[in-house]
Amino acid sequence: MGEFEVHRVRFFGLVPAGVRCMAYQHNGRRLALARTDGAVEVYNFAANYYMEKVSGGRERGGQGWRLFGAGLSGDITEYDLERLRPARAVDGFGGPIWSMAANNDGTRLAIGCEDGSVKLFQVVPGGGVQFEKNLDRQKGRVLCLSWHPSGTHLAAGSIDFIRVLDVHSGRTAQRIMVNCHVPKSKKRECVVWSIAFLSSGTVISSDSFGRVQFWDWERGTLQDSHTVSSSAALSLAVSEKEDSIVVGTSAGATYQFQLLPVKAGGQEKRWVRTKPFQHHTHDVRAVVHTPTALISGGLDAQLVIRPLMEKVQKKGYDAALRKFTLPHRRLVSCARKARLLLFQFSQHLELWRLGSTNKTGKDGETLPLSRMPEHLLQLKSKGPEHIYCSCVSPCGSWIAYSTASRFHLYRVQHEGDSISVKKVPGVPKLLLPAYQLLCASDSGRLFIASDRGSVHVVQLLEPGGCKHLHTLRPPAGTREAVYLLASSADGNWLAAVSGDWEVHVYSLKHFKHHCTVPTYSCAVTALAIHPTTNNLFISYSDQQLFEFSIPEKQYTAWSRAVQNSGLHKLWLERDSPITHIAFNPKNTSQVLLHDVYMLCVLDKSLPLPDDSAVLVNQSTLKQLSEPARRRQLHAFKICKKFQVGSPLLFADLLDERCLVTVERPALDISAQLPPPVQQKKFGT
Amino acid sequence: MVRRRRRQEKEAAPVAPAAAPPSSEDDEAPEELSFGTARAEAEAERKLVGEAARRHRELLKEKRRRRQELFAEQKRRKLLPEALLQELAAAPPARADERSPAAAPDKRPQGVSAKQNEGRIPGQVKKDKAGGTRSKGNYIAVHLKDENLTGLHQQTAKDFIHSQLYGPGTNRTSANEFFSIANKKDLVKKAAVQFVDKSWGLEKKQRATKFTKYWVARKVTNTL
Repeated sequence: MGEFEVHRVRFFGLVPAGVRCMAYQHNGRRLALARTDGAVEVYNFAANYYMEKVSGGRERGGQGWRLFGAGLSGDITEYDLERLRPARAVDGFGGPIWSMAANNDGTRLAIGCEDGSVKLFQVVPGGGVQFEKNLDRQKGRVLCLSWHPSGTHLAAGSIDFIRVLDVHSGRTAQRIMVNCHVPKSKKRECVVWSIAFLSSGTVISSDSFGRVQFWDWERGTLQDSHTVSSSAALSLAVSEKEDSIVVGTSAGATYQFQLLPVKAGGQEKRWVRTKPFQHHTHDVRAVVHTPTALISGGLDAQLVIRPLMEKVQKKGYDAALRKFTLPHRRLVSCARKARLLLFQFSQHLELWRLGSTNKTGKDGETLPLSRMPEHLLQLKSKGPEHIYCSCVSPCGSWIAYSTASRFHLYRVQHEGDSISVKKVPGVPKLLLPAYQLLCASDSGRLFIASDRGSVHVVQLLEPGGCKHLHTLRPPAGTREAVYLLASSADGNWLAAVSGDWEVHVYSLKHFKHHCTVPTYSCAVTALAIHPTTNNLFISYSDQQLFEFSIPEKQYTAWSRAVQNSGLHKLWLERDSPITHIAFNPKNTSQVLLHDVYMLCVLDKSLPLPDDSAVLVNQSTLKQLSEPARRRQLHAFKICKKFQVGSPLLFADLLDERCLVTVERPALDISAQLPPPVQQKKFGT
Repeated sequence: MVRRRRRQEKEAAPVAPAAAPPSSEDDEAPEELSFGTARAEAEAERKLVGEAARRHRELLKEKRRRRQELFAEQKRRKLLPEALLQELAAAPPARADERSPAAAPDKRPQGVSAKQNEGRIPGQVKKDKAGGTRSKGNYIAVHLKDENLTGLHQQTAKDFIHSQLYGPGTNRTSANEFFSIANKKDLVKKAAVQFVDKSWGLEKKQRATKFTKYWVARKVTNTL
């Protein structure tokens, strides 16, 4: 394979924001997640839990299929999932909105406000919501809401009490005091954090004392009470069949309650706490109960999907626990010739120059640096919107980034050791918004991915200007935006992937559409065009790899061989998608791939491993003799040093002897999280 | 009527001590006063009281007069000097004409919003000058941004959540302690997460590096 000097970069200070709320769409098997910094992400469960779309914004708490969000700013926002931005916002006029719930048909939306009122909105089919009426208002903020499955009643939880409202008349049908069963000495205010309404008339509430209580709403009596933890029980979710609920607490634990018969085969059923899980270290603020799994999202920025064993049909990798902390997108751009790295944060960009060394060493040695990595530039974005995408040109003199509404282009001058930055004026307005940015390898052109499947080609002029050359569009129009781009090294070809998972290849010499890669049933997670052979290398979210020859407009022979023999079982069972593909300029058959936990060099000239071979065999190969090694060598050379505690964010080949890897140690992220609840352990 | 009561009291007063001895010694008769002396005494008393009342009235009148004068003085001071007023009135009558209808509606919304703002948020400072006449343009009228209530509501909501989740009574500890305890209770014991706080002695370290650079530079120049 060869020897590489590896720049291990650990100064990317990314701290992902905590998960604030989630909404699950049963039909499409999608999960929408909102983080504490206002970003909304959509995960596609059918496509192997790939994080599809991201959009940035403000603090919220949310719901929906058409995705609606409501936050402390007091308005209900509908998100346009195709264009990845808030479409329209309606003011609730009740102060900050604490909770929002949609009824079963999805026709009405109820919001609970700071002033204690519950307001009903009609969901307009064309778009947006319209105010319908105000229900009974009582003093005390409405922290949680739940519809009765029939849509006739609403349960609202406040501080110290729960009330059940009749939707038709707007009156409070029942008011239940929650704080009565605590002894007078320990009386503090009891905050009902979340509530659920079952079709049998049982109201389930979870409060700040860590209790989960079951109430009969018609009589206003307590049926059952379980104290689940000493800290608050923050979130609650009920399964569709209403026989199982999941509760998330402040201490990071989640518990499952199930409705089980008291005697085997008997009629009488009771709610019993069955399974405790401790997947999070911080507060679990959102939980979702899908038919086969329990999903919890916590303030430690982790999304944990725990399949329920009794619901899983086949024994496969589906039954394993999945944890997602780092996003599935590329947040690092590399300027190969100038040896610069651009880090994308949510509100600013950082440009770093890599350090250098002039010593050599053996395998596994750490070389001393002759020049430290330097933080060259920090670009702050104006306004509350998040930076959606960014890129730096290979020569390091152009930086471009885009938020949801504005596009910025900067010219960077390197004078010796110092740099100066100048904003490029006169950027054409039609380029907004940009979903992905890519600079051509000769730094002369910038490709901007836009909505409706179109890609704008912009020429970067030398002293500091830009000119819009052309807009490339797919032949059959599409409503989704392009989210991935790849360009060839000779500047003739451009590949673009849009949200409907179609890969289109355009010719840049004639500015027209060249061909479309045959459709596949999964989302594309990374693609790249080989510099010499012009083969398009694609990796999909179900871990399949394809190679498509652009000049011949068909899959290559190697790709067909891979499909015939199939990839190794362990390769297909990885749970994080490949986010970047790079090529070795010296050796045309080598491809560098990486995902969150491993780095792999794929050698197309070597034979493919079958299921019986050991996939990760690099360490064993080192000890074997030369002929034995040649027998056991196969195409996948995987480095798993990043698995424990230090996930990989980015890996790229700078030149034929240099690799750069950007790691983010999990401990560094944990050290910067908000304070967790103290767990009293024996002996400390 | 007050005077009559006072006279009666005064007459009662000398009568009372005269009545006192009858209480102690019942058989003695009251003192004999002739009508003339009594009348003279009453007259003197009446005059004294009249004088007092008149003086009181004079005092009040004086105070009132002084206040009126003060107000007149203030009003005079508030208006611009006579000469300037005449000059302004005479010199650009056209400009004053076209400005005054503009100034009047201009003043009105600002005045109204000033009242509203003051009503809502008393601490806000307004910098615009109310006044129909303008001097040569050496001021800037600034209408500051309204501080609306949604910001305050949001802040209250955020404070509520913060106090519920992180306030007193919740059993919170720092991330360092939490993960350090986990490290210590692990099968393989490890050091605490932030064993050394990098911010300890930061200033000293910076000064030390600067001094080293300076010392090395001096050494180099000395040897050269």
